[in-house]
Amino acid sequence: MRIQSTADLAAIAKAYRDEQAGAKYHVTVCGGGACVSSGCIASRDAALQFIEENKLGDKVRLTFTGCMGMCSMGPLVYIEPEGVLYVKVTPDMARDILGRHVIVGEIPEEYTFLDEKTGRHIPLMKDVPFFSEQVKIALRNCGKVDYASLESAVANGGFEALARALSMERKAVVEEVKLSGLRGRGGGGFPTGLKWEAGYKAREGDKYIICNADEGDPGAFMDRSLIESDPFGLIEGMIIGAYAIGAQKGYVYIRAEYPIAVERLSVAIEKSREAGLLGENILGSGFNFDLEIRIGAGAFVCGEETALMHSVEGLRGEPTQKPPFPFESGLFGCPTIINNVETFANVPAILKEGGAWFASFGTEKSKGTKVFALAGDIRYSGLAEVPMGYTLGDLVYKIGGGVPRRGRFKAAQIGGPSGGCITRENLNTPLEYDALTALGAIMGSGGLVVMSEDTCMVDTARFFMDFIRDESCGKCVPCRIGTKRMLEILERITRGEGREEDLQLLNELAGNIKETAMCGLGQTAPNPVLSTLRFFMHEFEDHIREHRCEAGVCTNMFISPCQNACPAGINVPGYMALIQNGRFVDAYNLIRQENPFPGVCGRVCTHPCEDKCRRSSRDEALAICDLKRFVADYAMNHAESYVDDIKYPMNDKKVAVVGAGPSGLTCAYYLARLGYTVDVFESQSQAGGTLAYGIPEYRLPEDILQHEIKLIEQEGVHIHLNTEVGRNISFNYLRENYQAIYLTTGTQFPNEVGIPGEGLKGVYHGLPFLKDIRSGRRVKVGKRVVVIGGGSTAMDAARSCVRLGAEKVTVIYRREREDMPADRREIKEALEEGVELVTLASPMQVLGDDKGRVRGLECQRMELNDYDANGRPRPQRIRSSEYVIDCDMVIPAVSQHADFPFITAQDVELTAWGTLVTSKHNLMTSIEGVFAGGDLARGPDTAIAAIADGKKAASSIDLYLGGSGKLNKGRPIEIPPAVTDEDSAEYGRFPLEELAPETRTLGFREVNRGYRKLYAVAEATRCLRCDRR
Amino acid sequence: MGTDTKQANLLQDDAAEEREKLDAIQAVIQTYRDKPGCLIAVLHLAQEIYGYLPLEVQRVIAEGMGETLSHVSGVVSFYSYFSTVPRARHAIKICLGTACYVRGGKRIVDRLEEELGISVGERTPDGKFSIIITRCLGACGLAPVVMIDEDVHQQVNPDKIEKILAKYQ
Repeated sequence: MRIQSTADLAAIAKAYRDEQAGAKYHVTVCGGGACVSSGCIASRDAALQFIEENKLGDKVRLTFTGCMGMCSMGPLVYIEPEGVLYVKVTPDMARDILGRHVIVGEIPEEYTFLDEKTGRHIPLMKDVPFFSEQVKIALRNCGKVDYASLESAVANGGFEALARALSMERKAVVEEVKLSGLRGRGGGGFPTGLKWEAGYKAREGDKYIICNADEGDPGAFMDRSLIESDPFGLIEGMIIGAYAIGAQKGYVYIRAEYPIAVERLSVAIEKSREAGLLGENILGSGFNFDLEIRIGAGAFVCGEETALMHSVEGLRGEPTQKPPFPFESGLFGCPTIINNVETFANVPAILKEGGAWFASFGTEKSKGTKVFALAGDIRYSGLAEVPMGYTLGDLVYKIGGGVPRRGRFKAAQIGGPSGGCITRENLNTPLEYDALTALGAIMGSGGLVVMSEDTCMVDTARFFMDFIRDESCGKCVPCRIGTKRMLEILERITRGEGREEDLQLLNELAGNIKETAMCGLGQTAPNPVLSTLRFFMHEFEDHIREHRCEAGVCTNMFISPCQNACPAGINVPGYMALIQNGRFVDAYNLIRQENPFPGVCGRVCTHPCEDKCRRSSRDEALAICDLKRFVADYAMNHAESYVDDIKYPMNDKKVAVVGAGPSGLTCAYYLARLGYTVDVFESQSQAGGTLAYGIPEYRLPEDILQHEIKLIEQEGVHIHLNTEVGRNISFNYLRENYQAIYLTTGTQFPNEVGIPGEGLKGVYHGLPFLKDIRSGRRVKVGKRVVVIGGGSTAMDAARSCVRLGAEKVTVIYRREREDMPADRREIKEALEEGVELVTLASPMQVLGDDKGRVRGLECQRMELNDYDANGRPRPQRIRSSEYVIDCDMVIPAVSQHADFPFITAQDVELTAWGTLVTSKHNLMTSIEGVFAGGDLARGPDTAIAAIADGKKAASSIDLYLGGSGKLNKGRPIEIPPAVTDEDSAEYGRFPLEELAPETRTLGFREVNRGYRKLYAVAEATRCLRCDRR
Repeated sequence: MGTDTKQANLLQDDAAEEREKLDAIQAVIQTYRDKPGCLIAVLHLAQEIYGYLPLEVQRVIAEGMGETLSHVSGVVSFYSYFSTVPRARHAIKICLGTACYVRGGKRIVDRLEEELGISVGERTPDGKFSIIITRCLGACGLAPVVMIDEDVHQQVNPDKIEKILAKYQ
């Protein structure tokens, strides 16, 4: 079939549409590259077979298209007229879907997209945020047309724009593109209209147009999908461009790693030639143009235009100096215009709807839309096209679904190896050229790799530099040698051999290379390093000064991810191995080398170790916390009186510790073991701090805590109860009589919510509430209680109310359940015990009766909008959504603050929220010889963090007082080596014993009963021993 | 006596195979020699025919295309796709593009090196597998990705590598 006029196009379109309209159902199967590797071809074939077997040929049309965009949910099948999207369709599912949807006429919703947050299915594609948020211009045909059929392309409007363009003056075509404001989508962002104008004005004679389909940026796959899904669209765009500039020959340079794209484009070019859309006298206009594909051979630098042209010429892909620019002297010495695939993909839409239409999208300086490739630690990876100016936060959360598995967003790398990272604080950044450049990043080709807290930014910088060094063509010294030197420095840092001067050297080298490298590859090579240095300097410093890789990636600096995540650095694989071998007391002693509170932590720790457990990628994370509890309880019950320990002789130095909480007692413990005389001053009548007063006994029984405190006292620590510094004993006395002081009085004072009515009778703040219960005071609890807050205190208060006889307890929290700081297990147990959880609600005021007692709490509903500086969606009040919860008691549990009368702000440096400023390096305050840690320095934080601070303080104090800073951890314990498991099986956690919910609420008995020995050993055996080297 | 003949026959078969391959390469050269800038395409096709591009084959191509050997050699050594040493039956290409790297691509490399007992870039002694780090395959939506022959394996779990390898003989 030859197409020689617009009438021909119209006829073909009509014929195709008529043919399609004959059937009621249209089934579209996604054949994008990702879906192909997910097995869509088998699913498609199963569908075709089903249609044939059931003689559905007149009821159903099946189209095999290109990429629909939601790659992680493939294979995708879309059925019209209803517009239902089916995800992860296997061949069996395909048969079932056709059977039910087409034959019976019912929609099997269980096969459609599942919104993980609400737990509900969303059957219609137009309602799925991933799709509804997009504006598809470049991707207009992708996932819709049969990529192999010219008729299908024409029926969807293909080549109409070409017909229009060929009827215009060449100059007018250039003007239309200029009007649109289209900027190069390959990364340069140069105005396409201006580029074409330069090509148009260049000297007459042989001219070339080239499509840069090298797409070398790792993480970018937009161009690949465009070629595989809408090859005719690309061809059309190139013909229009060639006409505008006056070129008769065009090349598409595709990288060798894209064989499917090469294949599909070759077929499309052949068909276009047969139809007369390529070749001589195109559409009767007199214009001649033909297109050829050139395949790359694996060189990233060939994405740079001069290198690309040399590669097309069959030479080494080395860049050459610019000027001369390609439009002056390019391929084979002739004027050449080079554009990216996505740029060309936009051209037919611009010529069809007009430049002004295109310019109505986007921002002032960045018009139109952009296709982004979402990949990395993101729930829904794939392709999304949004208007320029769409925020990064919305792209990551609304379209991408956020970071999966409770991970936290850390940064998004944009622009590939030439780009930079955007951090949590900048999630409100509009995605457009200038806003991104201002942040030190670039738009790049649109590849966006999302990184969670498990990514080390130093390692990422090293990764990009390794890539660039490998791909450097070697022609110019700054790039060839400069990148290698930068890589060496980064490698040393990741190995734990970093030096202080390295950071300055990196900056210097980066500056030099940027200014002197010959081509874009070299000039942008330092960008990822500069970007990570700018936003993640603390990570570099941690690697160099503290030998610490927080993300748990640089393996030279830690034993295992779990040990690395533990603030106290406990040798987790070590004690797993000991439990496996039945050496429970050894396991207990191993833990105690790093943490004197195994029994406590085994019950209340937030266990950051479990979040990093590698086993979770296989089945489920190890129950590290519960196993710690097991060995602690075992040791307590089988205590041996003699422990072979190392004792240091007493020295003549005295240290005072203010506060007998976990931090203070840990510090005292380690200092006593080094021979110091340690006096701990505690204002209350019991030691333990928040462990004694802030945690109910059903989570942490009294005797467990007291046992561990007693063991600490046995090291030689003197605890002085009922002694408040500033009242019973003066701070000055401590300064005069002790050589060092450790302050750790915590944050004992509850924060006010700050709403009217907070002073009414029946408002009982969370922390004092729990304290009163623990001190044995008679606490009267209302019938209907509302708890405000989402942390452990709120959960503990709520569950205590249930046990004390409240009829109904409601917890309100202003964000969503998954944002609650409380441990997941605590929330689950609370709900099992009958506590009601209301999320996205915020208190407005406490309402009282005429006697001044609480009668209700007025609340307002919240919705989540843009992003705060921590990268979390910000809750905002919904107007006129107030409602009242009837209640007779309100317990606010919204964090705490510190207060200490014995030092004033004049004596010591305080932070804006009242905690003490301490040096990150050694925990010293602004007063010489006075150290601080735990909540007093951090603000409300976890017990294990406080314990880690206590350890660090002990080491710093020892150093300060002339010691080595090395703690006395006792005799080394030999750990059994890892054995390769030839018979490993997938198995989730072994079960723990728990009290049944009905029994629990009768009193304050401990809910968690711990592991039986058999299960403990089995559970420990699941450990993968990530410490083996 | 028997083994000598067998050896001789094998050698003859090898030689015949070799001639066939070189003839095929000549045919490719003839198709492309007059089109400008087609050296890279010729090298791709030649490598598909011969398996790799040793100096002898480069010489043949240079003569046929009317270029110097140093020119052809320069192009072969520049592009990572071209190999001057024989390749394994099954090339295991592990993508270490950013997305795959972030999703644990490095652990897959370490695991494979452990499993097969070779390092990246090497071939197993039986010639069955080789480990190659490849540039981004553009399947980032399904990272981490490993490509063996023409098959793209997605969301690869390092603990399940053996199962994947078992499919390839």
